[in-house]
Amino acid sequence: MVFIAILVGCILGAILGINAPMISYTYSSYLAIAIIAALDTVFGGIVAVSNKNFDLKIFISGFFSNAVIAILLTVLGQKLNVDIYLAAIVVFVWRILNNIGIIRRYYLNKMSDKYNEIKNNKNKTKVVEK
Amino acid sequence: MNKTHISIVLGILCFILTFGISIQIKTVRNSNSTISQDYEENNLRAEVLRYKEKYDRKYEELERAEEELEIERQKASTEDNELKELEEQIKKGNKLIGFTDVSGSGVTLTLSDSKIPTSSAMVSDLNELLVHDTDVLSVINELKNAGAEAISINGQRLVSTSSITCGGNIITINGERVGAPFEIKAIGLPEQLAALSRIGGYLSILKDYGIGTDLKKSDYIQISKYPKLINFEYAKTINK
Repeated sequence: MVFIAILVGCILGAILGINAPMISYTYSSYLAIAIIAALDTVFGGIVAVSNKNFDLKIFISGFFSNAVIAILLTVLGQKLNVDIYLAAIVVFVWRILNNIGIIRRYYLNKMSDKYNEIKNNKNKTKVVEK
Repeated sequence: MNKTHISIVLGILCFILTFGISIQIKTVRNSNSTISQDYEENNLRAEVLRYKEKYDRKYEELERAEEELEIERQKASTEDNELKELEEQIKKGNKLIGFTDVSGSGVTLTLSDSKIPTSSAMVSDLNELLVHDTDVLSVINELKNAGAEAISINGQRLVSTSSITCGGNIITINGERVGAPFEIKAIGLPEQLAALSRIGGYLSILKDYGIGTDLKKSDYIQISKYPKLINFEYAKTINK
């Protein structure tokens, strides 16, 4: 159910996005930073799901507030002539990589646990047969 | 919150995310054809694009303002006969100095660099293969002599203050860079203008050098107006 919803959302978004009018180049840098921030939230959400402390309210508020704050920081940086968006990108990408690492470890552990279980079961059955 | 709730919300979020990503990809692909590794160069390119956008927006505003002015003028002049006459005079003047879009019969002449390979033994001087500012000037001169009323080169309208100068491998018209091939549009009597290709004329000389000359008569040619303002600072009107 969840995966179907995600898939449908992605496909619809891609189709509509391709057909949507182009935004002006001035705003594309803001959109880029917002996308990175949103991606960070998504990966954070996946980590929360695997830790079983996923909260939809936190997820939604994080999705939007991260994006908006990243855009605001970029605007502030342009006004002050400091490339704040670089710092934001570094932090977000660092967090994305961290989160991906956590997800990878979680699923690898799960898989190896399952593997061990099957092995143990087989051993047990063998023992029983003997 | 049940599971349907969560999946609907997640679907919407994914929709927003992919929507943003695809718009971004599209924008970047359309505006930055070549992404250079050089940070400085990228910044400069972005700056140029931003200024271009600003310019386009301002130009649109200007056009809208001009339209409004036109409407206001018409409104004001419908009641008064004298004003109507003045309005006609303004229109006529604008047409003469190149401040209005015009259309009519005429010719389109395309001058393109020679297609003879540079390694060919016939070529003694590479300069002979290129269209120069003087070539364009001579052709324009002949067109004017043949009674051309409005001329544009690659969209650059020629007005009384226009200059055509050499700018390296391009030429500069009205301060804007224009590159080969040069599409010269001229409005006038097509038969007269087409006499440009007569034997001994400048076009035949260009042809001898191998430069591509393509002259086409047409019943309908559109020439856009001069987009800038002409300001006279030094020339003052003499009141008799």
